[in-house]
Amino acid sequence: MQHNGTLDRTFFALSDPTRRSILARLGGGPATIGELAEPFGLTLNGVKKHVGILEEVELVVTAKVGRARECRLGPAQLQDASGWIDGYRRAWERRLDRFGAYVEKRR
Amino acid sequence: MIDELRIDRVIDAPSDVVFDAFTTDGGQIAFYGSDDPGWIVESHCDLRVGGLWTVTFGPSSTHLYRHRNVFEVIDRPRRLMLATTEHRPDGSSFDFSIEFTFEEQEGKTLMTVTQSGFPTAELRDEHGRGVPNAFTRFERAISTER
Repeated sequence: MQHNGTLDRTFFALSDPTRRSILARLGGGPATIGELAEPFGLTLNGVKKHVGILEEVELVVTAKVGRARECRLGPAQLQDASGWIDGYRRAWERRLDRFGAYVEKRR
Repeated sequence: MIDELRIDRVIDAPSDVVFDAFTTDGGQIAFYGSDDPGWIVESHCDLRVGGLWTVTFGPSSTHLYRHRNVFEVIDRPRRLMLATTEHRPDGSSFDFSIEFTFEEQEGKTLMTVTQSGFPTAELRDEHGRGVPNAFTRFERAISTER
């Protein structure tokens, strides 16, 4: 599990629909900042800002290719985030089990 | 887009018994407890809409979680709705909503916990299905959003 500060930033990065759309687009292959901006009707600076947030948590990596900056999906951080939620589910299940046993034992 | 985690259990008791047990100290100690020696649970409940319900729990006094709940809906013995902040031992915190429902079924109670507020439905679904790549899910969800 990654450090919670990083996890918080990962959740924040994923909370925005435009950033999720950028990830979906990059799931189909690398794209330049300009190519990402076009379908969303965003300015280049707007896309750079979103990409910067995704890049900070390594959901996206960028590299200079010629005069353009190419973006692609980064290392899989989502496994850590989903593992965190998995732990949450198990905690709730244990709580319900214990509480159910408590109520039934009292009767 | 649905964004929630839902877990349920059938408890062999009427819904009013389950509801009342859940909102008292004994039920809370059971709910947030553990068989681990030294486990700590403290619950302070002001059962009214707008009231504060704090639960502190964890394996030791130096490693405690704290749920700060505010009652948004109290519909005894059917439903509780809470706005919750979880404070974790590392100092981080996380906001979410929890709904508890108590549905009576022939003398038993189907108790359901629904936690909502995860940033994306994809993250919630991902863990249960073991799909290694979430991005196709992002794409699907985005199509739904549009």
